Amino acid sequence: MSATTTFRALRGVLITVVCAVIALPIIWMIAAAFKTNVQVTDPTVGLVFSPTWDNFRNVLADGALAHSLLNSLVVGVVSTALSVVVAVPAAWAVGRFRMRRTGSIVLVARIIPAISLLVPWYYMFAQLGLVGSHLVLILSHMFVSVPLILWIMIGFFEGLPVELEDAARTDGLSAFGAFLRIALPLAAPGTASAAVLAFIFSWNNFIFALILADERTMTMPVLLFNFMSYASTDWGGLMAAATLMTVPVLLAAVFGQRFLVAGLTAGATKG
Amino acid sequence: MTHVLRPRAARGIELSRRSFGVLAATSVLAACAGSPRTASPDAPLRVLAINHVWTQAISRYLPELEERIGRRVSLRMLTADQLTSSFNVKLNASATDIDVMTIRPLQDQMMFARNGWIADLTDRVEGDADYRWTDFQDAPRERSITAGAAVSVPVVTERPALYYRKDLLEEFGGAPRTLDDMLDIALETQRRSEGFFGFVGRGQRAGAVTQWSSFLYSFGGDFTVDGRSGIGTPEAVAAYEFYGRLLHDAGPPGATNMSLEQAMPIFAQGKAAMYVDADAIYSNFLDTSISTVTDTVGFAPFPAGQAGSVPHNIPSWSLAVNEFSLLRDDSWEFLRWASSPEMVARLQSEGIPGARQSVWDDPATLASFPADLAEAMRINAANGVGHDRPEVMQVGRARDIVGRPLVSGIVGEDVASVAADADAEFNDFLVRDNRQQEF
Repeated sequence: MSATTTFRALRGVLITVVCAVIALPIIWMIAAAFKTNVQVTDPTVGLVFSPTWDNFRNVLADGALAHSLLNSLVVGVVSTALSVVVAVPAAWAVGRFRMRRTGSIVLVARIIPAISLLVPWYYMFAQLGLVGSHLVLILSHMFVSVPLILWIMIGFFEGLPVELEDAARTDGLSAFGAFLRIALPLAAPGTASAAVLAFIFSWNNFIFALILADERTMTMPVLLFNFMSYASTDWGGLMAAATLMTVPVLLAAVFGQRFLVAGLTAGATKG
Repeated sequence: MTHVLRPRAARGIELSRRSFGVLAATSVLAACAGSPRTASPDAPLRVLAINHVWTQAISRYLPELEERIGRRVSLRMLTADQLTSSFNVKLNASATDIDVMTIRPLQDQMMFARNGWIADLTDRVEGDADYRWTDFQDAPRERSITAGAAVSVPVVTERPALYYRKDLLEEFGGAPRTLDDMLDIALETQRRSEGFFGFVGRGQRAGAVTQWSSFLYSFGGDFTVDGRSGIGTPEAVAAYEFYGRLLHDAGPPGATNMSLEQAMPIFAQGKAAMYVDADAIYSNFLDTSISTVTDTVGFAPFPAGQAGSVPHNIPSWSLAVNEFSLLRDDSWEFLRWASSPEMVARLQSEGIPGARQSVWDDPATLASFPADLAEAMRINAANGVGHDRPEVMQVGRARDIVGRPLVSGIVGEDVASVAADADAEFNDFLVRDNRQQEF
């Protein structure tokens, strides 16, 4: 067996192992969503069993799930959209005007553990009467999303040829006009992938919603814990709800991947 | 060639940014300074509670209280860990959006009281003759008091129960009455069948401590003796060795990773002959959607050790009032209503054991429990000790220390030497913890 064949075989094995490690919990979650609670906790019942839709029927019959899904969607979409509006121009400014120190200060928001921010946040937002509102969740999620998008986009803007914007300035555009009409459209793939990552963060965030939301604005990650009570856990219901919660994120990731196509900037400088 | 573009009027922008920062900070501070100190008439009474059958049951009766206090009650349920996290964050910030709290008296109360987060209820519980404070069982009532003040009222109590397979233990004369018999039966039933376990129980380092406590007491030990560590005493070492052998020789593999969530399904799946855990979880074995032993499960009092049968009998959940609540009177009304003799009797009749002796004395309130379970609960309550973990400020750390020899016993290591190490560590811990307990 040649070295190349051995390398390929080894690579194939490693890829399979990594994929299995990533996929197994998801497969287990989806399988458990179609099992009874007895089957879920019986290790002898693997992937061969009579599936039941009862778990999905039960969780969907309870209006709380749809309400929480809507809350998660509102908070995720609005916080991501506002973060893009704030962070993308900021990233362009940091990249183009060499404002690295400013960028580093913004990055501090990513370094500070979220739990240490929650006490002052809670105090401040409670005094402002915002605790329990969608606004407080959107603002708290933006605190994490803005630095995330900013730092992804700084690299993206730095990778764009500055000559394009120079040419636009020569043709009469202002600096911001060059950003809007030239840099921003070229940065669309990067913006989309940064937005997808920000949305996934917001969709999955638990701790901010636990403290800052109330029963009206509860998001999906917090609702999932309702299936776990003091002396028992409704595993089937929990897994059905978790499956329903995972689908939008998977769709967002698949949809976002379409934008992750390289070569747009290379094409732009041709001719 | 790279051009660095400089925005025009940069100085102007910087000035505006600074002005904006000052304006924003001033606005926030002004808003924070002007916080309301009274609740509006239509503000709901907010209850942050454990997701527990007690809470689910009481929520059905809330309209009665709402009519009485003329105010809506907003009830939010969380798991135990999330509940503690919420309290830690919110009460650190003097939250007013929690009025009534469910707390674990043996886990949280001392720290919450020391931090000034829960209101002193002494005058209310003692000053209300109709409430009958002395009707609460001694052990749960004593655990409601911290630094001389009643800071909570117990609503749910727990004892250990011996869950066993009636069909399998029939030939041994039924449930074992002593711990020695229990070990013998566990070893024998384990030996007879491949893939079947004689005993299952919690084995996680910190998670197993509460259930192990009944073994400790029944061997004549305790977590502390005269303010010093009791886990190095011969009685404690014997209890460690016994529990370790039970799970090592007759338990499932991986027992040291098992807490309630892992151990309970093994018995519910019909794969173990005996299981010791809280009596509060009994309904899991009678529910056909979860259990395969609904017809064969039996319930028995905790078996006797060298010092007799000495299980714990603890208030697992109590109600407290947030010190920062703007609705203190209505919050007390909630506590008074939810822990009244009538409500405790009503809930106990629905299968949720309370803490009032008069209710336990009424056979009608035990009718909903299986007869053998009701009898086991009554006996365990009568013999019970009021704590199932070290009574300290940093309970989590204490459980880690106390649980270390437990794990050693389960994996078959020498328990005595590990217990001696843990004993020294626990003594050091108690000195530090005592300093923190100064109110």
